Amino acid sequence: MERKLADILAQADAQLEYQAMGVARPQPTDREIVGEPCPRAKRLREIYYSALSSASNEFPHWYTRTYMTLDNEIPVVRRALALESAFRHLTPTILPGELLVMGKTHHVRGSFPSPWLSEGYYMAAEDELYQEALARGSASADEVSIFGAGGGNVTKSFGPVVSIAGKFGIRKEEVPTMLRVARAWEGKSVDDIGHKYEQMAPGYEIKEALMKSVACMFDSGYTLPQGREVINYYYPLQYGFDGLISKAEEKKREVAGRPDGDGLVGMNRLYNYEAAIHALKGVQAWILNYAREARRLEAMESEPAQRSEYAEIAACLEWIAHHPPRTFREALQLTWTLHVAVLNEDVISGLSPGRLGQVLWPWYEQDIAVGRLDEAQALEFLECLRVKYTCLDCFASMGVVGGVLSGNTFNNLSIGGLDRHGAPASNRLEELIIEAAMRCATTQPTLTLLYDDKLPESFLLKATECIKTGTGYPAIVNNRTAIEFLLGQYGPEEMDLEEARAIAIGGCLETSPCSWMPLSLNGETYWIPGGSGQPTSVGVHFLSLPKILELVLFDGVDQRTGLRVFPPHGRSLDAFEDVFDQVKAYFARAVEVLSLANNIQHDVWRKNNMAVLNSLLKPDCLESGHLINELGYRYNATHNVETCGTINLINSLAAVKSLAYDKKSVSLNELRLALSDNFGFKTADEVSSYSLAAQEKRGDSSEHDRTHFECLTAPKYGNDDPCVDGILREWEEWFCSMCRGYESLNAYPYYACQISVSTHAPMGAVTMATPDGRLAGTTFADASMSAYPGTDRNGPYALFASATCWDHAQSQNSQLNMKLHPSAIHGREGTKKLLELTRAYMHKGGFHIQYNVVDSRILRRAQENPDEYRDLLVRVAGFTQYWVEIGKPVQDEIIARTEYEGVGS
Amino acid sequence: MTTSQKHLDCRAYAPIDVVKGICHLTKETVLADDAACPSFDRQPKCRACRLYSPGEEAYVGACGATPDRPMTYPDLVAVTCEWFDWKDG
Repeated sequence: MERKLADILAQADAQLEYQAMGVARPQPTDREIVGEPCPRAKRLREIYYSALSSASNEFPHWYTRTYMTLDNEIPVVRRALALESAFRHLTPTILPGELLVMGKTHHVRGSFPSPWLSEGYYMAAEDELYQEALARGSASADEVSIFGAGGGNVTKSFGPVVSIAGKFGIRKEEVPTMLRVARAWEGKSVDDIGHKYEQMAPGYEIKEALMKSVACMFDSGYTLPQGREVINYYYPLQYGFDGLISKAEEKKREVAGRPDGDGLVGMNRLYNYEAAIHALKGVQAWILNYAREARRLEAMESEPAQRSEYAEIAACLEWIAHHPPRTFREALQLTWTLHVAVLNEDVISGLSPGRLGQVLWPWYEQDIAVGRLDEAQALEFLECLRVKYTCLDCFASMGVVGGVLSGNTFNNLSIGGLDRHGAPASNRLEELIIEAAMRCATTQPTLTLLYDDKLPESFLLKATECIKTGTGYPAIVNNRTAIEFLLGQYGPEEMDLEEARAIAIGGCLETSPCSWMPLSLNGETYWIPGGSGQPTSVGVHFLSLPKILELVLFDGVDQRTGLRVFPPHGRSLDAFEDVFDQVKAYFARAVEVLSLANNIQHDVWRKNNMAVLNSLLKPDCLESGHLINELGYRYNATHNVETCGTINLINSLAAVKSLAYDKKSVSLNELRLALSDNFGFKTADEVSSYSLAAQEKRGDSSEHDRTHFECLTAPKYGNDDPCVDGILREWEEWFCSMCRGYESLNAYPYYACQISVSTHAPMGAVTMATPDGRLAGTTFADASMSAYPGTDRNGPYALFASATCWDHAQSQNSQLNMKLHPSAIHGREGTKKLLELTRAYMHKGGFHIQYNVVDSRILRRAQENPDEYRDLLVRVAGFTQYWVEIGKPVQDEIIARTEYEGVGS
Repeated sequence: MTTSQKHLDCRAYAPIDVVKGICHLTKETVLADDAACPSFDRQPKCRACRLYSPGEEAYVGACGATPDRPMTYPDLVAVTCEWFDWKDG
């Protein structure tokens, strides 16, 4: 009989409590609020549920075909011509019943590889390109990342379908050319050229060892070079494509041959405008191809209502391909089209629509006023939009898509906040956006409420009701804390308070710089918000803090691979301060070498693979003639250092301090031995479970039991414990400050970013047992401010006190997730209690909180019977995902999270 | 009644994913590789183009539309290709 940790602890009259503030009801409880989509959205969502993630070769084929014929063309023009060709040649697909049309490819969940960024990771494992990627560490995370095998993930080949990059299915007829296209980029991709030059940076060998040991998760420069930012729809909404092309033509005439005082890049403006025109014409052609398809379907359709809908689709597309939108429908279609266009331009995760309800308000308000639209119609459009967003897939490596993103693409729609004068910015359309999200529960777009005390109570209660559907959205972000961060970070680029109020969240939780733009519609002017900063998905991502501690305890050697990552520190670690200092020293060294490599990769990207479309949408590229590569964006200080496993580090440091130095009950050497032996337990992989309680003893030995028990019962974060919170505060103050000492390629200081996304699973998988009692291979605590499962025993307000012991405005974000049992917030009173809970955290200065409203027993059932739970949604860490598409390590972690049975003080 | 052609190659086929799609005529979900019905309407693809020539490797060919004769593949849908020309009229 195998002995599980939970049973062993129970025998010792101790337990890993996963229920707090009460005991769950005897029978599993479903979520209180279950929405029902309109029939059209429901049909389309059913199609989505049945759709496989499908890759195709069309876009890379046409891009490569054109690009390779343009030797010696100016790089930005060459890239734009390749993009134009790819957009022009995409096959349009329109499904019966669709109101909003267009997608990344002709498949519902379509995507494609972008070998100009990186070409090795999706080759067969035995292929030399893949082996090269492994050797340089760029595919190491792939080896330890796991996709959920359910839903639309194609994790195995079958029949005519080949599984690639662990998730995507491609038809076998397309594989030979896909591989040939990939090989055409060998030695030319951002990955390959970047690798050539990053090796010239001092400390490169450490960088490579960090990647191979998965102490660092991925290089952003060639995997996800853009994203976690807010798109800006303003220019096409205001001027239309024809207007923008005319504007660029006019600008070309103005700047041709004139440096205008800028001998470095002044001349580049001509080429940039030329590139912008090509990219815009490519998108125009793409839209018109869809319009032609709609006309073709109209002609062949026998059913009058459907025929009429095809005609309306065609008319809408024919108009927006040239002109600014006149109606809510045209504006909505245009924003969606732009969104997909930018996602096709590059491999992007976390391209967020921002405050879409405020962007579209002018058309909504005027259409409602003249009776051109009613709320039911608007709701139907918004539900259809949710299905469209949910279809977005991102083709990147398994380590990135599986290990970091859990298959999500993080299109975050922000609601609430303040207008530029400081008044509440919420509106009726945003209420409908919430309603659509409640009725048509899907993963995308996720919602974030920019919480401000000024927002109407009714609006806040509506958002709180939405949380009770169990979808995990809206997440709640502290508007004032975010504004304070923005002013600190972008003040040097002349951001003022009015501009900072345009804030929206890009990606999961990335506070992103935005701007107000004056939009004129039928003689009225509206100030609409939109993104104006570079991607924030870029920089040093993700650094595993427990792995850094492991390297400190074992003098720089990774215990999984035996690889020396850092030179020996040689310190005897006689005092706790020595341990903490060495953690900081190794961390700083990691940031130093990773930032150098990252700067080089992104520099290669911006020289050869720069954003053209995304750039021309962002203020002030069109005005200045400079794209992202020439810092044409209004805000460019966006590179950051991102961490994972904060709470396991803090708990481990607290245990080391308490046991090895204060009480002296366990020596550091005893601790090392126990960690190396995984406290006498099997590894998580052997047990096939990644939560602590389910781990099994290897045999009957009790050699490390006392040490393990002491580690488990050492003080833990989340209990308002001054000693542990003091360690957290010291870490946060140091971390948020030290990032400023490193310079991004844009010559601005880095800053701190603290979200885990899904990295706590693969990074946990490669990390040995930790001094907090966590066992080898098990998943870390999620997020950055969530307690480790079962260790927050003093209620939510104690957790809040611990989480806010430091100033969250010093970081781009922090992240706190809580799991609530549905009965804890039942009824109208429950909604009010939940809002009060949220408000309490906001008032303490917490940056972000989000709730999983679910009975853990339902999750266990879903794990055992995934086919019966295709539509079950859960919140992971900054995003919502279908349960069946999440890998088991993260599933186990979500099940293990402390379940709050009540939310009182 | 069916034909020797596949749904996948029909103009009325709207793909959902790599194995199935919706038939615009019946509005039913159909399998890509199943035999099409008598209403089959051939989809323009490279293999049906006068400018396409097959290569030695399966599923790889060349396009004769431009002098460099770039690589292409027989199943590439060509509804948006400016050079597509039915080889059999």
